[in-house]
Amino acid sequence: MVKYIAKRLLLCLLVLFGVSVIIYCLVLLMPTDFVDQKFASQIAQGAMDKQAIQEMKEKYALADKSFAGIFNGYFNWLGGVCTGDLGRSFKYDAPVTTVIVENMGISFGISFVALVLQFAIAIPLGIKAACNQYGKTDYIVTILTMMGISLPTFFLAALLVQVFAINLGWFPVNGLVTANLPTDTSAFMRFLDELWHLVLPMTTLVILSIGGLMRHTRTNMLEVLNADYIRTARAKGLSERTVVYKHAFKNTMIPIVTMTAGIIPSLFGGAMITETVFGIPGIGKMAYDALKIGDVPFVMGYNMFLAILTVLGTLLSDLMYMVVDPRVKLTK
Amino acid sequence: MAENKHVHRLSAKELRAIAKENSKTIKHYEKLKKRKYIPESEYVTEMKDEKNVLEVENLHTYFFTDVGVVKAVNNVSFNIPQGATVGIVGESGCGKSVTSLSIMGLVQGPTGQVVDGEIRFKTEVLKTDENGKYIPVYELDENGEKIVESVRVDKKTGAEIVQYKQKRDETGAFVFEKEPKVYNLVKAPKSEMSKIRGREVAMIFQEPMTSLNPVFTIGQQLDEVYLLHNPGVTKEGAKARTYEMLKLVGIIPENVYTRYPHELSGGMRQRVVIAMALTCNPRLIIGDEPTTALDVTIQAQILELLRDIKTKINGSIVLITHDLGVIAEMADYVVVMYAGKVIETGTVMEIFKNPLHPYTIGLQKSKPVINQSKERLYSIPGNVPNPIEMPTHCYFKDRCDRACDKCSGEYPGYVQVSPTHKVACYLYNEEAKHEHE
Repeated sequence: MVKYIAKRLLLCLLVLFGVSVIIYCLVLLMPTDFVDQKFASQIAQGAMDKQAIQEMKEKYALADKSFAGIFNGYFNWLGGVCTGDLGRSFKYDAPVTTVIVENMGISFGISFVALVLQFAIAIPLGIKAACNQYGKTDYIVTILTMMGISLPTFFLAALLVQVFAINLGWFPVNGLVTANLPTDTSAFMRFLDELWHLVLPMTTLVILSIGGLMRHTRTNMLEVLNADYIRTARAKGLSERTVVYKHAFKNTMIPIVTMTAGIIPSLFGGAMITETVFGIPGIGKMAYDALKIGDVPFVMGYNMFLAILTVLGTLLSDLMYMVVDPRVKLTK
Repeated sequence: MAENKHVHRLSAKELRAIAKENSKTIKHYEKLKKRKYIPESEYVTEMKDEKNVLEVENLHTYFFTDVGVVKAVNNVSFNIPQGATVGIVGESGCGKSVTSLSIMGLVQGPTGQVVDGEIRFKTEVLKTDENGKYIPVYELDENGEKIVESVRVDKKTGAEIVQYKQKRDETGAFVFEKEPKVYNLVKAPKSEMSKIRGREVAMIFQEPMTSLNPVFTIGQQLDEVYLLHNPGVTKEGAKARTYEMLKLVGIIPENVYTRYPHELSGGMRQRVVIAMALTCNPRLIIGDEPTTALDVTIQAQILELLRDIKTKINGSIVLITHDLGVIAEMADYVVVMYAGKVIETGTVMEIFKNPLHPYTIGLQKSKPVINQSKERLYSIPGNVPNPIEMPTHCYFKDRCDRACDKCSGEYPGYVQVSPTHKVACYLYNEEAKHEHE
């Protein structure tokens, strides 16, 4: 078991190395860079000449776009990573690690609550749909959830803002805190205020993801309900309820639990588009802004962070198989 | 590809018409089943012959598929006498399994529906008083008086409520008063069916490898049956019963109780499935090819076991198989099915010594016999007809080597050859008459 995990972790390192090479090359191949963008207005006005720009680029180590330069830059970055230093973000002017650690909390919070709600809604719906295959319930549930899945994030977000924030005025348009909150507000009230701001973003995330999970549950459940052991359970004289919610449910949950275990680490990565649309200062929005301006260290750091989360997620989901499915044993 | 000539491609219009017709029919039957309250008069009947434990009469089980109605079981009748073993034989797809599933009420809906017929089953149900509650049997002391367990004073009325000690059996299950009743299993509501299933009729399924739930231990799966059908049983009581059952089927209980199904061999799993079927001492055991998936040595053991158990619990067995050897060894009566119909029934001696229907004879001939050297084993020519468009004449006519002009007429009726032997074939219509004259 320990041996298995150690082996997997070593393999992960190899994967991460490959990922970092690809990301670094892609980031540096972007047509403009941080200096060009940041001093665009000065260049246009003629306040800075080419000489100054070039000096600036050298400072940021962006000057040499030759193969050797990229190669060099990459190994400099890698050397830093090995000593635990992900570099300093151009845009946020702080160590990348600090920026990530400070901002991932809120992103995780939103995504986690959304995940819990998504499960609480999608799984019962999936089971209901499977038990009434091709019935009225099945069609209604499938159509509604499919509508949710088909909407683009930004469109649904905009729609929710239009209806619930602008027309009805129930929720704020964007942001995380009310601007003119009195300074003597208690911590609890501040928390409630944040929660109030987060209702729409969470709703967006939930509506978007229910469809997938519901389909997944439905398909699994249908497969399990046609299994021989379900017929055995019925032949024992168990009620339909027990058959579905005990005998079938536990089998249906195997793929879902493992899938979830794979998702949980990635929750720290933030929801880029939703956060951007709602102006929530989570890590997703920060990464989006950094990417736009060509903040190489942050983009590298963020993407590596995502890669690590993904790799850990797969490992975790494989380990979960062993926990939930008695047939799976991890050896070697 | 001679078969392809018969395949008729359905046009979109025809398909739509079928779908429409199907959904209408299915709705009708589902509605009947889903009624909240089904009066007892609809499903309580009388046996035709008191010696039988099960009587199947004119059973029709159809599957409403997208390409047409499959008459999987088409007018099947047979009886199962108390304490007897009845074998149902026939080739794959002739409706054996569907017949057994119809008895259990487990035909896969909504496409599969028991359309017509009766399945009368002699059962024993818990007696209910006027409030619909079960009547408990109380423990009596030497004077024949009920033993007082506890006395409680009702807070509102101040009246004393005396709780008598209810009788429990050796596993701790409460004993209630019972009464014999005959149910028509086709009409019985779901709630009644689930009380009968597993307790009065138990089924041993075909595939031991997939018939056990992979995520529960053997112990959990076996205990469940006993706990379900015996209110008041403690976990220990159920476990004791499970141990007893496992021992009965020749497994050391300690070795498998906490194991998962995948840790057991096929033979062991089949034994577990049998143990599960026997837990509640059912009066009828349906074995749907219980030995097909097993190798020959295990087969013999399992059959031996079934025979043993039948005498121990004094039950009846319906044995479904296409293995004539098994039938010869186990059965008292044989029902031969072909394409959803019973074509010949009789005692095992009659069917084996004096098979009448050309199909039965063909079946016998295609069985290998020891001490007989043959170039090639006989096989009945042709295939089972397409189940969707069944001909109106005898279904076996096209494959029959003794078909005559009469066979193109309508489907032959039964000819009673002896009090127990019946055959549906024109060949014997004449002969039987001659004998009479």
